[in-house]
Amino acid sequence: MEPVNLFDLATKQSEWLSVRQSAIASNIANANTPGYTAGDVEPFEKVLDRTAVTLQATQPGHLGFEASNAGFTIKPEEDNGAIMPSKNTVVLEDELMKAGEVRRSFELNTAIVKAFHTMLSMAVKS
Amino acid sequence: MDALTAALKVAASGLGAQSERLRVVSENLANAQSTGSTPGADPYRRKTISFASELDRSSGGQLVEVNSISRDPSDFPVEFQPGNEAADDKGYVKMPNVNVLIEMADMSEANRSYEANLQVIKQARDLISMTIDLMRNQS
Amino acid sequence: MISGIGSIGALQLKPEGADPAAGVFQGIVSPTSTENVGTSFAEALGQAATKTVNTLQGAEQVSIQALRGDADTRQVVDAVMNAQQALQTAVAIRDKVVSAYLEVSRMSI
Repeated sequence: MEPVNLFDLATKQSEWLSVRQSAIASNIANANTPGYTAGDVEPFEKVLDRTAVTLQATQPGHLGFEASNAGFTIKPEEDNGAIMPSKNTVVLEDELMKAGEVRRSFELNTAIVKAFHTMLSMAVKS
Repeated sequence: MDALTAALKVAASGLGAQSERLRVVSENLANAQSTGSTPGADPYRRKTISFASELDRSSGGQLVEVNSISRDPSDFPVEFQPGNEAADDKGYVKMPNVNVLIEMADMSEANRSYEANLQVIKQARDLISMTIDLMRNQS
Repeated sequence: MISGIGSIGALQLKPEGADPAAGVFQGIVSPTSTENVGTSFAEALGQAATKTVNTLQGAEQVSIQALRGDADTRQVVDAVMNAQQALQTAVAIRDKVVSAYLEVSRMSI
């Protein structure tokens, strides 16, 4: 398998993190909506495997970004036993914790991109 | 619409919904003692609010909106107050079916949800800002 | 992908030392390496470049792991900072070498 491009991977992760953030937002906004089931994006590892498979399926010279436009599926979360009588499955604390994780990962992501971009520019500058 | 802007929109709808909920709670609390004005008349009937989620086409997020504001159908408790203008011939007055403790608990829940939605807005805004910052300070 | 950075060093060198910036010079100044003491300057420069490239590749590997989601934050930060230091040192050396060469070439015989 070819080596992974750092910047492409970073872009993909930040897209995934953004979709996760919107899923968390939906969960928090609908924390009191009867019958609403909490959802979350599929794990990032799965997304990478799926993309690798898709990219290999197309023709060799044709590395478009259709895979990234396919979007990340949002699936209902597994049942953790905390269902309210109103059939709402949102646990506010879990959502806030996930939001914290998203933030940390995003900060690391932008920091890495910035650092390598600076290094690249430094090497190219005469 | 990209996902972070969608998150902002969804969280904003959450803020709106929780504000409505707080408004209903404060109406109930303010009218917890509002009896009728003629003998045997019905007092203030407690209001209830229910939410519904709606899929927003442009952003792909699950917005929340107020489904309905209806009345609590439970019976009115009666108190013995012969001097009240709404007292019937036996001196009993029908009081609003508002339980102050329940309303206070609902209010703190609504506050908590409101704060959580606010956190989401702040975080989404910060993430967008971080992304734009990548371009800044290019020497 | 980051081979673009590595291409600034086409020479060969082999210094030791954990600290990348000091390590680059240690190999040149203190001949504690097991190689023969008479390491030529060109070889010393090559070693520094190789070490820089290795540091950069290491940092890239750790960063890719971090983006996938399973690396210690502190490790990533340390690796990337080391890489930045090594790169800055290597670029400084490169600039000096180039200007020295130009100066020599301008010398009248």
